[in-house]
Amino acid sequence: MQKAWQSLAKHRYPYLFIAPTLIILFIFSFIPILVAVFISFTNMDLAGLANWSNIKFNGTDNFVQLFGDAVFRKSMFNTLIYVVVGVPLVVLLSMAIAILINQGTSWLFKTFRVIYYMPSITNIVAVAVIWGYLYNSQYGLINQMLGFFGFDPVRWLQGPTIAKFSLIIMAVWKAIGLNMIIFLAALQGIPRTYYEAAQIDGASRWQQLTKITVPLLGFATFFVSITTLIGWIQFFEEPLVMTKGDPLNGTTSMALFIYNTGFQRSDFGYAAAGSIVLFAIIIVVTIIQFKVRKKDSDVEY
Amino acid sequence: MAKLWKSMIACMLVFSIVLAGCSGQDKATTADGKRILKIWGMGGEGGSLPDMVAAFEKANPDIDVQVQQIPWGSAHDKLLTAVASKSGPDVIQMGMTWIPEFANAGALMDLTPYVEQYPNLKPENFFEGARETMKFNDQMISVPWYMETRVLYYRTDLLKEVGYNEPPKTWAELKDAATKLAARGNGNYGILLDNQDAAFTLPFAWENGSEVISNNQAQFNQPPYIEAVKYLTSFYKEGLAPTQSDMQLLPAFGQGMVPMFFSGPWSINQIHETAPQIDGKWSTALIPAKEEGGKSASVLGGSNWSVFSSAVNKDDAVKFISFMSDPANQVKYYELSKDLPSTLKAWEDKAFSSNEQIKTFREQMETSRTSPFVKSWEAIGSLIKDSLQQINIGGADVQKQMEELTTQANELLKD
Repeated sequence: MQKAWQSLAKHRYPYLFIAPTLIILFIFSFIPILVAVFISFTNMDLAGLANWSNIKFNGTDNFVQLFGDAVFRKSMFNTLIYVVVGVPLVVLLSMAIAILINQGTSWLFKTFRVIYYMPSITNIVAVAVIWGYLYNSQYGLINQMLGFFGFDPVRWLQGPTIAKFSLIIMAVWKAIGLNMIIFLAALQGIPRTYYEAAQIDGASRWQQLTKITVPLLGFATFFVSITTLIGWIQFFEEPLVMTKGDPLNGTTSMALFIYNTGFQRSDFGYAAAGSIVLFAIIIVVTIIQFKVRKKDSDVEY
Repeated sequence: MAKLWKSMIACMLVFSIVLAGCSGQDKATTADGKRILKIWGMGGEGGSLPDMVAAFEKANPDIDVQVQQIPWGSAHDKLLTAVASKSGPDVIQMGMTWIPEFANAGALMDLTPYVEQYPNLKPENFFEGARETMKFNDQMISVPWYMETRVLYYRTDLLKEVGYNEPPKTWAELKDAATKLAARGNGNYGILLDNQDAAFTLPFAWENGSEVISNNQAQFNQPPYIEAVKYLTSFYKEGLAPTQSDMQLLPAFGQGMVPMFFSGPWSINQIHETAPQIDGKWSTALIPAKEEGGKSASVLGGSNWSVFSSAVNKDDAVKFISFMSDPANQVKYYELSKDLPSTLKAWEDKAFSSNEQIKTFREQMETSRTSPFVKSWEAIGSLIKDSLQQINIGGADVQKQMEELTTQANELLKD
């Protein structure tokens, strides 16, 4: 004990510097998570919120009911589709665009860097409203263009399957910008000497790309996939603003399900149980990613 | 060691001061001694409130009213937070369908003791349909403010072309008119039925003699309700009504693509603004009855005033509600906002008798009823919407889907 205090005293400045973050994290993340775990075992609703004596423990009832709930299962399936289709698309496209933009330094490349980054700094609600107009089955720009080329109009947001993919297209478009910047920074960290050495050895451009660029982007790719994956498991704003989960709950994600049960139906216990399941899924997926990552260590030349 | 403690405590102090700055105590009076009355108004209604508030402040110079405007979309969330933190406003505008939920949570104050002092709050002053929304568990928890009801909007010129000089008055006529109008082809429809609206099947079920909830049992699987749903969904099946939810109603009404739809009084101004080219070519009518001579029904909606049970300034809160329930003030508010008044007396004003379109609403209100006044109505409403989608888009069997809806709704009604 004495020793622990001494070491704490000795390293007080680093601890003091991280203290604000830790305290904030504790108050705004850690405690709420514990409270959510607690609520998930109760029947808390609006009456319970107003007067705590109305809250009753109902054990694991919420969880049992949750896995029998067709809408929740559907939302898990939808989230799976979002993640399986969306995450690889975001990683591949943002890497490809970063590599292409990194080819030159003229004003054209700089302009495109801004253009690709623009969606990331635009408010999601504004984006969703505009894309809602684009996707409109009657007046939408996309259908107008399809009509110009003689295709039948497509009801982008009106079928449970096509609506999912329409949302994915929009979300990918929005997510590329930020990840592209991360890849660009990583690309600029690769020393030119590697490429020069490869060129002397007669490596083709494709070989340089696959043998130098992509392996050396390993850490950036790892970072981008983890953050993107976590983000897409929590897929929420796009369906909330654009489809509200319609049609036939075909676009309801897990996060949207939790929001609807919690804030529309005021069934907080049930919603908390849903969020605990979502939390567990994110933790498990992240741990798996870290484990897989450890197997092939960083590439260094 | 001592140094470490000192710096730790210093950090804590700074942090707690920051936190204390965030919370702060609710003040009951302003610096110059006026009593503060906090009001939350929702949506567009909140926007036209300040004029009424100015008149109220003039009559009560010792009260300082602070109005906060909240968009309808985030109002429910905001109310939940206010209930949880017990730091809500004094007076609150409540959507009629939300009242049971919040009353059940004990968030709304009982106004019964104040009725003697403020005769404006007497239940018999209000429309019969609206009176139902005032009581919950023998407490008077809210006072109707303005009302709305759904009627049929139709294009007189287009209906004339298909042989209807009068608006459709029965289910059969409505179907026939829609069929003839849809036969124009070219992407034209007969009618728009808003299946995003939870209350959309209710008028037809009522007209067919069905209840929605009776003895705390959902009635969705009863033959009259099923018949109403079958009638309504046939419009989609036969292509008379668009199934897509992203139809832009007002432009489509202006172009004649959708010559009929059901909506509330707000559409009157919207049509004038969005499609001025059809002024004089459209009108409103009662929702068609099932048979010749049958009774037309509609859904009554609107907003009420309630006092939050954690209100700081309860007496002035009731005074304000009484002010807003005064028939003369209700007429004034109608002129500002076009929201229909809730007191019977206000309707005697000539502002209402001179306007044809408003007359339809007055007539429809006689036979309008509120959505079932149960605390789980919001949840049941979203189940109804889902079921209608299953039938219209998913192609589910009506009988089977309605049975399932009944089971789910009964589950919600149980607790």
